[in-house]
Amino acid sequence: MAEYGVGIGWRPEIAGYVEGLPGLRFAEVVAESVHAHGELPPGLQSLLDREVTVIPHGVRLSLGGAEPVDPERVTHFVAVAERLGAPLVSEHIAFVRAGGVEAGHLLPLPRTREAVDAVVANVRRVQEQLTVPIALEPIAALFDWPDAELTEAQFIAEILDRSSALLLLDVANVYANARNRGTDPLDLLDHLPLDRVAYVHVAGGAEHQGLYHDTHTDAVPQPVLDLVAELCARHRPPALMLERDGDYPPGSALTAELDAIARASGYPAIT
Amino acid sequence: MSLADQQAALVEALTAGAPVPPGIDAARFEAARVALLRKRAGEVARQWPLLAAAFGPQWKPEFASWAATRPTRGSLRDGWDMARDLAARGSLPTAAAVELAEREAARHYDGRNAPRSRRGPALRAAGGAVAVQLAGRVWTLRRP
Repeated sequence: MAEYGVGIGWRPEIAGYVEGLPGLRFAEVVAESVHAHGELPPGLQSLLDREVTVIPHGVRLSLGGAEPVDPERVTHFVAVAERLGAPLVSEHIAFVRAGGVEAGHLLPLPRTREAVDAVVANVRRVQEQLTVPIALEPIAALFDWPDAELTEAQFIAEILDRSSALLLLDVANVYANARNRGTDPLDLLDHLPLDRVAYVHVAGGAEHQGLYHDTHTDAVPQPVLDLVAELCARHRPPALMLERDGDYPPGSALTAELDAIARASGYPAIT
Repeated sequence: MSLADQQAALVEALTAGAPVPPGIDAARFEAARVALLRKRAGEVARQWPLLAAAFGPQWKPEFASWAATRPTRGSLRDGWDMARDLAARGSLPTAAAVELAEREAARHYDGRNAPRSRRGPALRAAGGAVAVQLAGRVWTLRRP
């Protein structure tokens, strides 16, 4: 991916704010919220008119599901990428439904070879339809499956190697998982293929009863910004973006967060 | 246990109250389950603002208790199903009844498939409110 610097997740609720960001060069949109054909929401269309790169981010494909991905969902995902003229797309290393039931959330996979096989098979099914690369995002999970055969870093690296996918690294997920597991987030950074990072998510969370929840509805905490700096000191990714999914604060608060990400990464402010 | 069985058991535990799969920390799983229900409540509130507002600070717990054993069918239908349940029990707050009546008049929803726009005019009463839809426009009448 070309170097885009700091961006933001486009959401209808903050469309006006995003539209007014003078230095914005890339944004991300939830793929399932975009019609594959027909008109785009006005705020999103105006970004494309300004030649801002907009990346579709899938949340419902269930790439980690034991069953093959739903072909209709893949068709929509691919059509949205074409509609937006996106240079790449992204989805999660997770599953969201099983046995015909929707979980309504990204769920963690057991770190087994069988799960690696399932993800890789599904990523390949999607890649067959895509003309652009896909980046895969490891998720934050409050609980783990027992009997892991692979470490987190091995699990991610194996999936990326075998599928030739890029990495969408979420530093807030890295922080949340390390904090909840009592591990060192830098240890994971040191074992991930940072040269394969397409772009980075940065989000806020909150602690409840001793667990850190990656809510996307709270401000980005300082330790996550510190982790952005640590990441960029090792290998600065081409793009980093603020991800907010509810309880939207006033624009001045979003500006402060975007500026903080710019400072931590060394990219210019876009506000 | 195969990956498919593992995944089905997890989703069943998360959405239908089935036992937590062996080896998964029960307290952490419970924290995730509650967080998921509250996230769903926030999404339903965006689709059904008057329904959520009618419960004030009790919205999230009310929705979470209603949804605890009902897997999501999307936030539009989740809110619709909950509002209908409350209306059937006579416990849908007035402002939320107006919202439900307007939706019922504007779109056809059979409770099984996604709601779709009505072709013809419609008159629907729900939870003490009446809504009329004509050529895509909806008027609401409140019962005194």
